[in-house]
Amino acid sequence: MPEGRGVIVIPAYNEEENIGAVVVELLEESLGLDILIVDDGSKDGTPDRLRGLPVHVLSHPMNLGYGVAVQTGFKYAVLRGYDFLVLMDADGQHVPSQVRLLLEELDRERDIVIGSRLAGDAGGYRIPFLRRAGIRFFSFLAKVLGGVSIRDVTSGFQAMRREVFLLLAEEYPTDFPDAEVVIMLGLKRFRLAEVPTLVRERKRGKSMYSSLGTVLYYPFKSILASFIVLLRLFREREGR
Amino acid sequence: MSFQAKLMISALLVGNAILVVELLRKRKLTESYTLLWLAVISCTAMATWADRLLARLTRFFGAAAPVSALTLLSLVFVLIMLIYFSMKISRLTRELKELAQQVALRTPPSGGRDRGGGSGG
Repeated sequence: MPEGRGVIVIPAYNEEENIGAVVVELLEESLGLDILIVDDGSKDGTPDRLRGLPVHVLSHPMNLGYGVAVQTGFKYAVLRGYDFLVLMDADGQHVPSQVRLLLEELDRERDIVIGSRLAGDAGGYRIPFLRRAGIRFFSFLAKVLGGVSIRDVTSGFQAMRREVFLLLAEEYPTDFPDAEVVIMLGLKRFRLAEVPTLVRERKRGKSMYSSLGTVLYYPFKSILASFIVLLRLFREREGR
Repeated sequence: MSFQAKLMISALLVGNAILVVELLRKRKLTESYTLLWLAVISCTAMATWADRLLARLTRFFGAAAPVSALTLLSLVFVLIMLIYFSMKISRLTRELKELAQQVALRTPPSGGRDRGGGSGG
């Protein structure tokens, strides 16, 4: 376990069916970390499910998107002086017992560790072919543009040190923060690693990637954003 | 459409594309709007250089010349965008109002009359 104080950040939107069980499972792991739920303007009973549980809750007054909710978590962690942070989903796909794997790897002089569905064979839910192909494509893009060898650049299961979330609290994509974040961190010479982690199939509720509009928009947005990261850093280094 | 006209339109489109990408780089535009503008630029470029497509569009709109058809398409696009942005501004105005009210309601009240005592003397 890395030194210092840590927090687990869980962005949640309309996850009343899952959030209670996720928090209870995390508490049973006795990790000794604070838990922060960022409620992104849920219209269901998500906040009600958290009442009475030993967690911190921040609520957006309206739905602002996954990226904004995650960034709120980063800003909270910066303000409260946490030394490291774990990011995980509220839908129960990320297994709380695997948090230790991320933290053990983080302790090996890493700045950010990604829980990978594609590195090794951790078992569990198998991602559909099309989605897997998409992840592989963006991992290839991250390799070419950022020089990072991460197989699962779209995983939202991550552990990171303060230096990383300090940067991301300032600049973070508002929607679908995936490949471009990994590319940016790689180009800024952070030490990235990934560990194989188990993922469960979402049993209740809807994924943010499930709508047709998202399926059409997401690949173009990620490709454009990945190239823009490169352009920004290139111009920064030129001193403009 | 003359070759010169096509070149002029293409130069404007390339300039526009560079502008939106630069605005995105400077974080003055988000990816979603940049993609929208790039899609519009691509469709306009296609319509400009694909003579048969442009001829069909010109006949469809009953325009006098291909340039008129392109102008009409641009006007329709601008109208749609204006309506879209009107809706977006309306939504953002409503959200800003809610946000401001929530901040006001969470801020402890200051000044005003003392509840328990008299007003003077």
